[in-house]
Amino acid sequence: MIGANGRGGPREKMKVEDMNVFYGSFQAIKDANLNVAEHRVTALIGPSGCGKSTFIRALNRMHDLTPGARVEGRVMLDGENIYAPSVDPVTVRHRIGMVFQRANPFPKSIFENVVYGPKIHGLRSHKALVEVAEKSLRAAALWDEVKDRLNRSALDLSGGQQQRLCIARVLAVEPEVILMDEPASALDPIATSKIEDLIGELKRRYTVVIVTHSMQQAARISDSTVFFLLGELIEVGTTSEIFTRPKDKRTEDYITGRYG
Amino acid sequence: MIQARRRFTDAFASGALWGAACFVVLMLAALVGYLIYLGGSAISWHFLTGMSSEMNAGGGVGPQIYNSFYILILTLVFTVPVSLAAGIYLQEYAATGWFRSAVQFSAESLATVPSIVMGLFGLLVFVQTLRWGFSALAGALTLTVLNLPALTRVTQEALASVPGTLREASMAVGGTKWQTVLRIVLPSSIGPLTTGIVLISGRIFGETAALIYTAGTSVAHGRAAYDLSPLRPAETLAVHLWYTHSEALIPDVTRIGNGSALVLLMMVLIFNVVARVVGRALTMHITRKA
Repeated sequence: MIGANGRGGPREKMKVEDMNVFYGSFQAIKDANLNVAEHRVTALIGPSGCGKSTFIRALNRMHDLTPGARVEGRVMLDGENIYAPSVDPVTVRHRIGMVFQRANPFPKSIFENVVYGPKIHGLRSHKALVEVAEKSLRAAALWDEVKDRLNRSALDLSGGQQQRLCIARVLAVEPEVILMDEPASALDPIATSKIEDLIGELKRRYTVVIVTHSMQQAARISDSTVFFLLGELIEVGTTSEIFTRPKDKRTEDYITGRYG
Repeated sequence: MIQARRRFTDAFASGALWGAACFVVLMLAALVGYLIYLGGSAISWHFLTGMSSEMNAGGGVGPQIYNSFYILILTLVFTVPVSLAAGIYLQEYAATGWFRSAVQFSAESLATVPSIVMGLFGLLVFVQTLRWGFSALAGALTLTVLNLPALTRVTQEALASVPGTLREASMAVGGTKWQTVLRIVLPSSIGPLTTGIVLISGRIFGETAALIYTAGTSVAHGRAAYDLSPLRPAETLAVHLWYTHSEALIPDVTRIGNGSALVLLMMVLIFNVVARVVGRALTMHITRKA
């Protein structure tokens, strides 16, 4: 399986070309290029502050909301640049959903959290909303734990359940790509392994890009791995290549634990 | 030795802070107690509902209570939508730039204008230039200008208390800015928002200086005192309290004053209690259910 290199194998879902990201005058990402294969899990690894979170947030135009942030270059989704002037960022985020580092459920009921997306996109029928809620919660492996208390506050759930609820909330709008920014970093090992199992399931239907600070996690769940250092995209390869035969000395140093 | 001193300092600090807190509570209790002692006997059904009197003893404050609520509601009708909109704009929409700074600076400057100056402004603009005369409408609009900055600030702070991660979550499923504000940010801030509005209602209810030259110091006689028209003189309870003590000719001015003060204080206290209870209840309601 050759994913990231594009030689045969899966279709290319997203393509990043010459991306530069600035916060004011500080350049956080330098000339990054990347192909993201469809129905694969792509992991972004690197030490803290290397720009991996900045990079992933540029993939669905979340930086539009950050004052002073500027993205240059192209991010193609199915061959169309999502930064083109004619493209509505709201539509982009509908197609490319995002799960964040800390679970951020709305202070509403579990049900209202899941159906928020479908509702704002115009789905009105209660029956249809109920169906979407069940489908999304099942896909996020949360249904059995919450089916009897859908009207309870989402804030009463445990951290791991909240994060799976946030995943269900994203799934409910049926995106094509799901971006995850260290989704398990605030969770205990059991909740983490549930999220990891879930990601393995999700790639059948979605394309997943995940930032993780844990190399073990990247090795367990991803098909290809991208290594960032100081804002530069150092190396891309299949996960097994990166972890067994890295081409770049800096990747090898990081993998073998010689960087923080 | 040092241990003992540290422990003493710690205990002393706790005690001093506790004492200061107690002082605040005691001041309030003393004030309320004193006013109940003085004004309690003045309060009667007749006092609360009866007509006020210019010359004779035995007047009530019925029209003044009515006018206080009338002007309060009219003021809120103007103030709440404008300051909500301004607060939402400043907090959620305005990028940091000269326009945002200009609006912010204007609001803060406006907030420092003394209420008597605002009253004279209302006299010039509403009462004289627009020829509305001393009227509930002139009073309400003056109070609107007076309270816009505070309520805008309340809105901003209430919105700022909503974590940015919730906005991101809404955006990340394809929500627009407006949907995010309307469905996530506003409902999540409904508690502090309500508390702020009710607290400011208390201030509006007790406002005096800005109303003397705008809503006036008189009420019509008989049933006309309870007219619904906004273009009639509308002395409020707080203004009545000031007026009876400084201008009126009635012999029982002390009784009327004490009674009015007690009613006014009770109303404002009720506003404060309601602010807390309603704010908390709304927050609970929103977070529990849809």
